[in-house]
Amino acid sequence: MNQDELKNLEVHKKVDARGTACPGPLLAAKKALGEINSGEVMEILSSDEGTRRDVPKWAQKKGHEYLGTVEESGYFTIFMKKK
Amino acid sequence: MENKRLTIALFSGSLDKLTAAGIILSGAAADDMDVEVFVLLQGARAFMKGIAENNDKLELAENPKLKAEFMESLEKLNVKPWLEFFREAKELTNVKIYICGLAGKVWGGEKLDDFVDLADDIVGIGECITSMEESDIHLFI
Repeated sequence: MNQDELKNLEVHKKVDARGTACPGPLLAAKKALGEINSGEVMEILSSDEGTRRDVPKWAQKKGHEYLGTVEESGYFTIFMKKK
Repeated sequence: MENKRLTIALFSGSLDKLTAAGIILSGAAADDMDVEVFVLLQGARAFMKGIAENNDKLELAENPKLKAEFMESLEKLNVKPWLEFFREAKELTNVKIYICGLAGKVWGGEKLDDFVDLADDIVGIGECITSMEESDIHLFI
């Protein structure tokens, strides 16, 4: 998905983990995943560089779909779809 | 599919290594792993009531002179106290925390009640060895 497609996705859950360091964003994503249904999209906002690779890898390993990452000013947003 | 199993032999009772153990535990929790933590010697002291929540009673294993800087940095980065990693992991996945019976006695902890409420039981080393044999990953910290 390109950046515009990602930005226009219908998001069912937003996790703002900015200001927390690893493993904060990963745990926040893990917890929030329980609050959405299969096929729904979640976005995770983070400013932690380690999270940039960590969350997509974790999502794929658990069978979810990593949709992409959008760069913002001072942070980035990771999009994933629950399996 | 069965969850993967992680066994941690947690010997250390230092703030830096307890924090590292907690972070590893968090990763395992995010992965839905089943985890057994066996708390040995110095670790058992750290899990005692009155000590676990009191950073003044715990030191760093490495670069002990940098304790103040280490603690300040963790706070600035919004990193939780080490014990909270263990508590959160227990909420997220199947984590059991076992205190080594001998280790407890070394520090005056004879009963489960002498330790923080996260501790599940007091066990012998046989259980630790069995857990290591049966787990997918085992770590000594």
